[in-house]
Amino acid sequence: MSAPQTSEKALSLRVNGRDHVLTGLDPAETLAEVLKNRLGLTGLKVSCDEGACGACTVIMDSRAVLSCMTLAVEAQGREILTIEGLDPEDPVVQAFAHQHEPGYGTAMQCGYCTPGFVMTAKAFLMENPKPTLAQIREALSGNVCRCGCYPAIAQAVLRASGQKAEEMKP
Amino acid sequence: MKTAFTPRRQRKFVGTYRPRIEGRAKALGRAEYLDDLALNIKYPDMLHAKVLRSPYAHCRIKKVDTQKAENMPGVRCVITFQDPEAAAFKPTSCAWTGVDTVPYDRMYWPTYKDKRVFGPYCTWAGDEAGVVVAAETEQQAREAVKALEVEWEVFDHVLDPHEAMKPDAPLINPEMNFGSNVIPPEPLCGPEVWFNKGDVDAALAQAPVQVDVTSNFPNTDHGCLDSMGCLIHWTDDKLTCLTNSYQGDQLKVHLSTMLDLPMHKVRVVIPYLGASMGRWNVGDQLFFLFSALLSRRTGRPVRFKHTRREDFHDTRSAIEWRARLGAKEDGTITAANFIGLADSGGYVEHTVAALKFMTGFEIPECMLAPLENIRIEGKAVYTNRLPGGCMRGIGNNQFNLCFMLAVDELAEKLGLDPVQVAIKNFGHEWGQKPDISIKALLEEGAKRIGWENRHPAGQGQVYEYGKRRGLGFSFHMSWHTAWQEIPRGRVQLRVRLNPDCTAVLDAPMVETGPGSNSCAVFACADALDFLDMTPDRITWVDKVDTETGLKDMVQTDSAVSYLHAELMAEAAAQIKDQILERAEPVLEAEASDLDVAGSKVFVKSDPDKSITVRDLLWQGDMTPLVGSANRVPPEEVTGVPYAATFVEVEVDPGTGMVEVQKIVQLNDCGTVMYATGVEAQQTGGQCIGLGEAIYEEIVYDKKTGVPLNFNWVDYRIPTMADFPDIEPVPMEVWLGAGEYGPCGIGEVVTTNTPRAVANAVYNAVGVRIDDPPLTPKKVLEALKKKGDRS
Repeated sequence: MSAPQTSEKALSLRVNGRDHVLTGLDPAETLAEVLKNRLGLTGLKVSCDEGACGACTVIMDSRAVLSCMTLAVEAQGREILTIEGLDPEDPVVQAFAHQHEPGYGTAMQCGYCTPGFVMTAKAFLMENPKPTLAQIREALSGNVCRCGCYPAIAQAVLRASGQKAEEMKP
Repeated sequence: MKTAFTPRRQRKFVGTYRPRIEGRAKALGRAEYLDDLALNIKYPDMLHAKVLRSPYAHCRIKKVDTQKAENMPGVRCVITFQDPEAAAFKPTSCAWTGVDTVPYDRMYWPTYKDKRVFGPYCTWAGDEAGVVVAAETEQQAREAVKALEVEWEVFDHVLDPHEAMKPDAPLINPEMNFGSNVIPPEPLCGPEVWFNKGDVDAALAQAPVQVDVTSNFPNTDHGCLDSMGCLIHWTDDKLTCLTNSYQGDQLKVHLSTMLDLPMHKVRVVIPYLGASMGRWNVGDQLFFLFSALLSRRTGRPVRFKHTRREDFHDTRSAIEWRARLGAKEDGTITAANFIGLADSGGYVEHTVAALKFMTGFEIPECMLAPLENIRIEGKAVYTNRLPGGCMRGIGNNQFNLCFMLAVDELAEKLGLDPVQVAIKNFGHEWGQKPDISIKALLEEGAKRIGWENRHPAGQGQVYEYGKRRGLGFSFHMSWHTAWQEIPRGRVQLRVRLNPDCTAVLDAPMVETGPGSNSCAVFACADALDFLDMTPDRITWVDKVDTETGLKDMVQTDSAVSYLHAELMAEAAAQIKDQILERAEPVLEAEASDLDVAGSKVFVKSDPDKSITVRDLLWQGDMTPLVGSANRVPPEEVTGVPYAATFVEVEVDPGTGMVEVQKIVQLNDCGTVMYATGVEAQQTGGQCIGLGEAIYEEIVYDKKTGVPLNFNWVDYRIPTMADFPDIEPVPMEVWLGAGEYGPCGIGEVVTTNTPRAVANAVYNAVGVRIDDPPLTPKKVLEALKKKGDRS
C-alpha cells in the first residue's frame, strides 16, 4: 500500500458529533494517536498497538474498528464515536459499571480493557440487539482482559441488551 | 451451579456483593492511567526516550558511535555508558522491594547486584544496552536508536539451565565472580539444602510405595495491558515522576538514593494502573534513572514507555521441580524430597524468591507440616533467557505443578483417591488434623465437579470424534495472611469527614485491579456506621502522591484491602470523639454522657436531647473532622487457609486439543472482604491459570537465543471464547487475626489450574504431560508415544 500524501492537506474528522480539522499530520499517524494525543480523547487505550487486544476500539460509521490499526487519513469524512461520546446513562456503560451478581464477579478489575470492551459491545448490540450468549462470546473474543473478567462482561452485555442474564455455558 | 455466598458474619458493606466503587469511571473511560496523562497535549515540551536493546542473547558493546544518531531530526540528547555520570550509578539487584519499603542497603537480594543502569554488557536478547536517546517524537527516538553505530562482541549463549551448569558453558555475568552460572546461596533463603527435617533418605528407603516425578514450568508473561513506563521532569533541583509503578514511597527512596536528591525534592505520582500481576516487585526499573538523567540534561519532561514487545521484560521463572514421595500402604506420606532447578535468566531479580522463599518457610511449615521427613533443595542458574522477575503466585505455581503431580501419582499407585490422600496428609501445624480448611474445600470441590463419577485414567466413556473427558484437581496454601506482612511495618490512613457528612478517604495504594480501593471504602462505611455512612458518600483518593499523601501500601501480596480495613475502626473512633467534643457545648452535656448513632448525637441520660451530626458540623466553623491511623496491624501467627481448583477437560485424541469445560475455584478466604471482588479474582485468575495450562509460553529460537513471540498474536492470552464455565466458590472456614482475619487470594487463584488441567488430561487419556502449556503438539506426541509402547 502506498503511503497517502496528506501531510500538507487538512484532515476532517467528525468525532462524537463535533467536526475537527487537523493539519500538519504525519501520514503514518493512526486514528488512535490523533484521537488521544491531538484531541485529548483519552478513554481509548493503546495496549498492543498491533490489533491483537481490542483496547483501542472505537466506532466508525457504526462499526467497531481498532483505532491503532486505522490510519487517521482513513477516517477522513467518517463519523467517529469514542467512549467520551456515549451517553453516560448508556445501557452498556451502566451494565459494565454495575455488574455484581453472584457467581460472576465484576465486569472489570484494572479497567484498562474496559473502554475497548464497552465500544465493541456497543457496536455489536447496534448490529444485533438481542444476541445469544454464544454470539456475545464470539463477538467479544477479539478483546483481551488479562484480569479475566470475561464471564461478567458477557453477563453485562446480556443485561445491556435488556435480556435476563443467564448461566454462562461454554 | 452458581450460588451466592453467605458470610459467617453479616456486615453492612464489607463482604457483600456490590459494584466496584470506580466501576462507572472505568466504564466511561474516565479513570486515568499513565498514558492518559503523559501526553504531548498535556506536556507540550515532552521528549520521548528509547533505549538501545541487545539484539543478541549474550553480548557486549565493543564500540558505539553516536554521531549519526545525534544528528538525526528531533534528537535532543544521547547518553551512553561511557558518560561518567551514567557510569557512576550504583549497581542494583532490580528487586529492591518485596512488600516493604527499604533503603539501598536493605534491598532484597543485596548479594546479587548484577544490574548496571548503563551497562554495555547484555545477558538476554532484549536487554537494555547502555545507550539512551531522547527525541521530540517517539518515532524520532526509535529512528535515532536504529542509527546508532554499534560494534557488538557476541558471546556464546546458553538457554538450558542443565547446560549452563556444565564447566564449559559460557559464563554469564562474569563480573559477579560466582565462578560458574550457579547462583551462590545468600543469607535470607539459605544454603542449597534450605529445609531439612528428619531423615528423608532413610524414610524413602523404608517406604513401601514411592514416586519420583519431574515437572517443568516455562517462562510466561504477565500480559498487563498497561506497559511499564514513566514521565520524569527534573527541573532545577526538583524531580517529579509520574509512573505506573505500584509503589510510590519505595520509588521515592529509590530515586532519591540513586540520584542523590533529598526526599522532599522527589515527588512520585501514580494514577490507576492497568494491571500488575506481580511484575512491579521488580520495581527499581533502570528506565527511571535514564529517563531522569535525560530530563536533567535537556531540562524537559521525558516520557519512557515500553512497547508491547519491550514489555516482555521480566518473566515467571522457569523452574524444574523433581519430587520424591514415600508412603505407607494406608496412604500416610512418610517422606518428601523436592529438588528444584530454577532458570534465572540473565539476572537474578526474584528467581531465588521463586525457588526458595515459599518452599523455605510457608510450604514446609504449613502445608507439609505434618510430614516427619522433608528435604527441600536445589539451585538457581543463570541462562541467557529473560530474567525471572516476580509474577502473580511467585514460586507457588511452579511448585504446585510438581507437588500435586506427585500426590496424584502416589494415590494412583496406592489405589486411593487423591482427594483423600491430600486430606489425610496435609495441613498447617496450628490446625486440627485433618485440616478443616483443606477438608472443607476438597469435599465441596469434589461435590461440585462430580468427583464420584471419576473413572480410572484413560478408561472413561468415548464421546463424539473419539473425544474423552477427565477430571483433575489441585490445591495449595493461600497467599499471605496478616502475619506475613509484618515487614511492611506501619499502615497509614486518614479519613476526613466533611461538614455535610460525606468523607474523603486517604488510604493510599495504587489500584491495579484487585479492588482494594472498594474494600477500603466498604470498611470505612462500616466503621462510620454511626453516621449511616454509605460507600457513595466516600471519595477514595485515587492517586498516590508522595508529596500530599500518606505512605502508600505496596500493592502486592493481596494484602492491602484488609491492612487498610483493619485500621478503619481506629480512624472512625477518633471522628466519633471529635463529634462528641463539638456536641458538648451545643447539647450542654459532658462527652461521657453523649453518643452517636443513626447520624445523630444524643444525650445518653436524656435521649430526647439530640442533634444531627450534619446540623452540628454545619453550625460551627465548617472545619472537617479528621481521623487517622498509623500503626502496625495485627501480627499474630494464625496459620494459613487453602485454595482448591477442580476441573473437567475434554481431549480430542485426533487433534490433540484440550478443552477445559469447567473450573470450580474454591478459596477459604478467612473473611470475604468483598464478595464480588473475590469472585472476580476467582474467575479472572483463570486467565493466567488457563493460559499457563494450555496456551502461554515464551518461545526462544534455540540457535540464536532470541525470543520469538513477544507479541499477543504468537503469545496467546485466553479470550472470552476460550473461557469455560467457571464456578467461583468463596468460603470462610479458617479465621485469622484482627477484626477481619482474612487472607490474600489474588495469587493462589492462578496457582492450581495448570496442575489440575494436567491431571485431568491424564485422567481423560492416560498420558502425562508435565511441561505446560499442554499444546495439541505435546498431547499428540504423548498419545503417539503411549500408542507405540502398547
